[in-house]
Parts: sequence; C-alpha cells; structure tokens
Amino acid sequence: MIRRLLLLNGLAAIGVVVNHATGWGYTAMFWWAHRYRPVTSPNFDQMGDLSYFGLRSMEQLIMFSIPAFLFVSGFFIAFATKKNQSTVEWHVVGSRIKNLVIPYVIWSTIILLGQALQGDGVTAVEYIQTLLFGRAALPYYYVPLLIQFYLLSPILFVPAAKKNWKLLLLITGLIQLGVLLARYPELLGLQIPVADAVGRMTPGWFFPGTIFWFALGVVAGFQIRPFKAWLDKYKWVFLGLTVLSFFLAIVDWEMMLQRSGEWLTPTRTLLDEFYSGFFILAFMAFQTAKVPYAKQVNDIGVHSYGIYLVHAPVLEYLSRAIYFVAPVILGYQIIYQPILIIAGVGIPMLMMNLMNRSPARKEYKYLFG
Amino acid sequence: MDREAILLDYVKNELLRGRANNITAEDDLLGAGLIDSLGILQIVAFIDERFNIQVPDEDVVYENFNSVKALSDYLAQ
Repeated sequence: MIRRLLLLNGLAAIGVVVNHATGWGYTAMFWWAHRYRPVTSPNFDQMGDLSYFGLRSMEQLIMFSIPAFLFVSGFFIAFATKKNQSTVEWHVVGSRIKNLVIPYVIWSTIILLGQALQGDGVTAVEYIQTLLFGRAALPYYYVPLLIQFYLLSPILFVPAAKKNWKLLLLITGLIQLGVLLARYPELLGLQIPVADAVGRMTPGWFFPGTIFWFALGVVAGFQIRPFKAWLDKYKWVFLGLTVLSFFLAIVDWEMMLQRSGEWLTPTRTLLDEFYSGFFILAFMAFQTAKVPYAKQVNDIGVHSYGIYLVHAPVLEYLSRAIYFVAPVILGYQIIYQPILIIAGVGIPMLMMNLMNRSPARKEYKYLFG
Repeated sequence: MDREAILLDYVKNELLRGRANNITAEDDLLGAGLIDSLGILQIVAFIDERFNIQVPDEDVVYENFNSVKALSDYLAQ
C-alpha cells in the first residue's frame, strides 16, 4: 500500500495543475471571450455547452488533490514517530518545515518581484502578510496550511492518534464538516450571521477546513494493518461511491449555479469532500490495480513540491501570452487545456531536471524542496 | 558493492544530490532532516527495483529507515 502513496502524490500533483488550468479555462471562456468572439466580456453564453462541462468534469475529477497531499503528509508524521515514543520529535517536524519554507519564500519572492516589475509592488508589511497567508499565488495557501499541521502534530495529532484514533477522526471530521456547512449559506444566497462569521474565520490557509484529511493520514500510518484490512473489505463500495459522488457533485454545483443566477467562484462543497475521501480510499484499496504511465506518475510524485510551487506562475504568464499573441486558442479548450497542463507539469519538471544535472544541483533543495 | 554501500550511494547521489557527501551509514537521515516522506517512498521503490525485495508496509517504520545501516540490517534479516 505504501508504494501507492507515491503514485497518489503524483496524481495529486497533476491534479493541482489541472485544477488551475481549468481556472484559466473559465477565465478564457467568460472573461476573455471578447478576444475571440464579437461580444463584451464577461460573457456567459458558453456556460452549459460541451466545453464548459468538459472543464467542470476535469475540475471535479481532480478534487482529491489537496486532500491527497494532506493524507500523504499525515502518513509521514506517523512514519517519523519512533515506536517507543509518545509523539513525533520536534526536530523532525522542524526539519520538515524548514525544507518547505525556504523554496516557498524564494518562489513567493520571485512572483512578487514579477508583479512589482509590472507596477504592482508591495510594502514590507504586505510582503510578510503574503508569506504568512500564502497569497503570492492562488495555490500557495497550502504551504502555511501544511506548516500548521506539522506544528500541531507533536501536541495533537500524534498523541491523539496513538491514544484514541477513532475519537480523533470523529472530532476532526465534525470540525471539517462544520466549517464546510458554514460556507453553504453564502453559496445559497442566504444571510446567516454566524455562518458568515465562521466562513470568514476559516480561510483556505487555516487548518480547521481540511483537518480531517491530515488526521486520516496520521491514523492510517499508525493503524496500517487494520486500515489495509478495512480498505480491502470495502474496496468495491469505495469505488462505487467515488463514481456516484463524482456525478452528484457536478449536478449539485450546477443546481447551485442555477439557484444563484450568477457565476459563483468555485468552492469546495460537501459532495466534493465525499468524492475526495472515497477516491483516496478506493485508490489505496485497489493496491494492485495498474496505473497507466506509473513510472512517469511516480516521477511526478517525487517532484510534486517543485511542480506545486512553479506551475502557478508558468500558467499565469503562459495564459497571458496566449491572450495577447494567439487569442484564437482561448476559444478552443480542447487545445488550450492540453497546452496549459503540459506546460504546467513539463516546465517545472524541465527546470528541476536541468538544475539536477547542473553544477548547482547541491542547491536544488532550496529551490524545489 | 555490498548492499549497504549501494544504499549509501543512492542516498548520497539521488536523494541528497551530493550536498552531504560526508554522511555515513550510521547518520540519522530523518532526524537530521536529510530525507522526507517522499525520500522514504523513493527508497522503498529503489529497494524493490534494485534488490527485488518488497518491503512490507508494516516494516516501513522509523526504526528500519532512520539510517542506511538500520536499513541494511533490516534487509539482511
């Protein structure tokens, strides 16, 4: 089962790139429509057509990415805990955080410098805030989030997982569910002050909204034998529920869009969380199921942190270049999406491979983790 | 090369990319932050490919993987 973790990590890394490629796909479809059609943007005429549902399906398919990263990270914490100790040692956690922070600060600074060159500079206070809350690029919230989980591991996750793992899963599941439900009134256009306040207090970079996925990884790592037996027993159920929740999540979101009568910023729903969980469990359960291009996916899994950090600016600058140089491509998602996804995975991989073969390979860790 | 030397070479050149050439088989790789979760998974895959040994999930624990010597001793069992 453990070898599946690397594959899962690789699929999650591809998934993160696909997720942001679909984001640029929506931008091209609605906000940049004037670049390839005689309309005024934003224009939502294409909502509901084949390209739109193609994007939605891709976006839904890879919803498991961040939960999968957190699951794998939680599993590592269990591994890094010595058998005869009550919790993971702080210096192990500290080393892991240091390895995350240095590349993150470097790439955040590069992105902010790029923005400053375009006349959108930040003050020193804004720079610190950007780093603390992962605001340099959309996906960067994940780094402060993961650091919080690592910091909580020696005092919360490991002792709780060792003492009463069922209670840990129950409580973290309820916390995550509560945060998720608090986001619904806004999605449904309702005004409920308490829910609004909870929603505002739990942004993506703050741990309560994803706490269950990390806890599940820690518990799976400590309870590997019963976890495997449980997975094996229910693997067909997990597979069936993965397929069912995939379609239900698409229908659910479309109903919310129809109800609102306007474009809603993509937000994780309850069904997205169920789909993510069932996908991870089904993927781990079918241990011997072959994954196409497994060697390449494993390789992407090994380089996942570098891809995570570098793909965001690659996609942004590439999308903008297409906007100016070849806007006709924006009207064809079937061409636009493969360009973004291949570049989003390929350019970071190329950079990492080049650095790994250069005299500067000793510094690789500081740039790509 | 014996198994320990092959593992040490792999850790130095592939996982650490030559940035800690002075490490020994006894050094604590995890405690010193030299390798992370993905590093462990890479080692498990390498052992499978290079020595045709499938490490059972239950044996992928800190005690067996914290140093090249510990790993080599475990594989010798």
